Amino acid sequence: MKQHRKVALPRYGEYNCALKYIVEQGFEAQCILPPPLSRRTEDLGARNSPDLVCTPFKTTLGSMIEALEAGADTILMVPGACRLNYFGELQEQILRDMGFTFEFINLSLYNTGNAKDLLKALRVVNPRRSMVKTARALYEAAKMIEHLDDITTLYYENCGFDPTKTYPKVYKQFIADMYAAQNLNEIHEAFRVASRAFEEITLNKPSDPIRIGIIGDYYTVMDPFSNLELEQKLADMGVEVHRLMNLANDMLRGGGKNKQAKIREFAEYSMGASSTADIWQAQNFAERGFDGIVQVKSAGCMPETDIMPVLANLSRDYKIPVLYLTYDSQSSDVGLMTRLEAFYDMVEMRKKVNP
Amino acid sequence: MGQWEIGGIRMNESRMPAIGIPRAMLYYRYGALWEHFLQALGVSVQLSPPSSRGILETGTRLAPDESCLSLKMFMGHVDMLIGRCERILIPRYSNYGYTELFCTRYEGLYDQARNIFRSSGQRFITCNIDAQNDSPEAKAFELFGVELGFSARESRRAWQEASKVLKQKQKAEEQAQKELAAKPGMKVLIAGHSYILSDPYLGKPILDCLASSGAITLRADALESETARKACAKFSPTCRWIVSEEIVGGVLHWKEKADGIVLVSAFPCGPDSMTNELLIRRFKGIPILPLVLDTQSGMAGVETRIESFLDIIRFQKGEMV
Repeated sequence: MKQHRKVALPRYGEYNCALKYIVEQGFEAQCILPPPLSRRTEDLGARNSPDLVCTPFKTTLGSMIEALEAGADTILMVPGACRLNYFGELQEQILRDMGFTFEFINLSLYNTGNAKDLLKALRVVNPRRSMVKTARALYEAAKMIEHLDDITTLYYENCGFDPTKTYPKVYKQFIADMYAAQNLNEIHEAFRVASRAFEEITLNKPSDPIRIGIIGDYYTVMDPFSNLELEQKLADMGVEVHRLMNLANDMLRGGGKNKQAKIREFAEYSMGASSTADIWQAQNFAERGFDGIVQVKSAGCMPETDIMPVLANLSRDYKIPVLYLTYDSQSSDVGLMTRLEAFYDMVEMRKKVNP
Repeated sequence: MGQWEIGGIRMNESRMPAIGIPRAMLYYRYGALWEHFLQALGVSVQLSPPSSRGILETGTRLAPDESCLSLKMFMGHVDMLIGRCERILIPRYSNYGYTELFCTRYEGLYDQARNIFRSSGQRFITCNIDAQNDSPEAKAFELFGVELGFSARESRRAWQEASKVLKQKQKAEEQAQKELAAKPGMKVLIAGHSYILSDPYLGKPILDCLASSGAITLRADALESETARKACAKFSPTCRWIVSEEIVGGVLHWKEKADGIVLVSAFPCGPDSMTNELLIRRFKGIPILPLVLDTQSGMAGVETRIESFLDIIRFQKGEMV
């Protein structure tokens, strides 16, 4: 057994700070952060992936390649509820065929519904460290994710109305603090500092701003690079951007089963993966009188495609416009900007006609 | 068993057949089970007509643009049944347990169709197979039977009979193929979802083309489910879609008997996009032809590819030097 593993997980929004925390504080290992996602990541991934697989597969594969180039010797891959569960096995095969040497820890293998198997996975990653320390690191990383998601939510709701333009600076500093945090106190402190800084900024927000809700597939909607910074673009137009789909809401705070009951009229049963949460969120936005909904999905995402007829009916019933966006690995800014501007103009006009 | 009700309609007074079944998607895998279940209970069944270009065109118009060819075909079949039966049956195949899953598309099929055809007023019925949420297959069919107005006991017995029929059907297919595989001559193993291969509009032209070129065609899905899934679990432990496991396992089982493999999938099939890639990467030394079918009609392209593929096999075998 090696003294220190160099563990990497492909880039996923800013959530890598939580993994870094778990690896460094919980395990006796070093965490390698793959470089931020770029065109190169996507090209590398797309070139080595099967054509018809969904875009997150390609992006994460690209990020794994970049992590290995950056010196990682162990790649960790998460399980999931859709094709994601099978990502690891195929990605490992592709990386080996490309000639890389590394250890691959595929958590899907341990995702059998039996808690004992998950503990086994922890022992594989971390053979010597005490379970108590690991458990504490996991708990603290969960707190980190909650803070990260709360600050991100605040940021996109308000940054479009900040006359001083200091919002981005505060947010950037907060993210940097999350990556640097060494213990729970530092995590809480960074959260307090950022919240206070946000509070001190006087916003120039109308009493009834344009509010747009974002829903979408697990990866694309939470990863700003993959959705071409959709939220920032909308916020810059002067929109209050709301997104309930994040790890804190969907995994840590739960409430999944009752969501299905609330959306019975549209979907009696779960339509797979993120579908129930998405339909529930769309209905929630509509009931709160939002001005529009944007659905973000990667090309080939099955559950998100399946709920399109549901969203169409919801849009009809609640009279709320829905913009459907599909991202593949060659999306360009320009096309997205055109569609967003058109959507914004339409939403703004509707608001003027029936305030 | 004469009188029974669904949704307040006395079925024996109704002139329409009670249950309509779209002849697409999982019908080709589990249809025998559904039909025999309903038959055993004495429920009248209406099947949609065999696939055709027209049905696919209707489905393409109705389904979301980005969905797979099979879903488009399915929605076309549902459309053919609208107004022609009391209820359209769309079973919801979600899972047999935590690690025994189905493609999310089958999971959402029932609710998706309800939403697409909402304005038609057509009523739908499902049989919800979702062991993770306390509805394993046996219980699902029991509840389904009860919803149709039969007793739990009658429903259970009907399901047991129907399951036996389905098992026997699979066994017979395997037996027939065993005999076929023992025959001399060039053999091609064709792998794909049964709703592609058995579909008269999508898969049959490919099978015909292979047959007319003088090749013996073996089908990967002609194998008992347990055997296939065991083989697949060894080969690819995190593959958990039951139907894909059956296909992959079938390929592993029959591959020794075949001279080449044709992988047929529908554009853009989610599970196939990954399992086929894995097969291609892990199998060396046997010619493989991946074929992806989309809504573009016209067989000329497919025929050319199959012919040149067969030439490659002949060349490898030394028959064409």
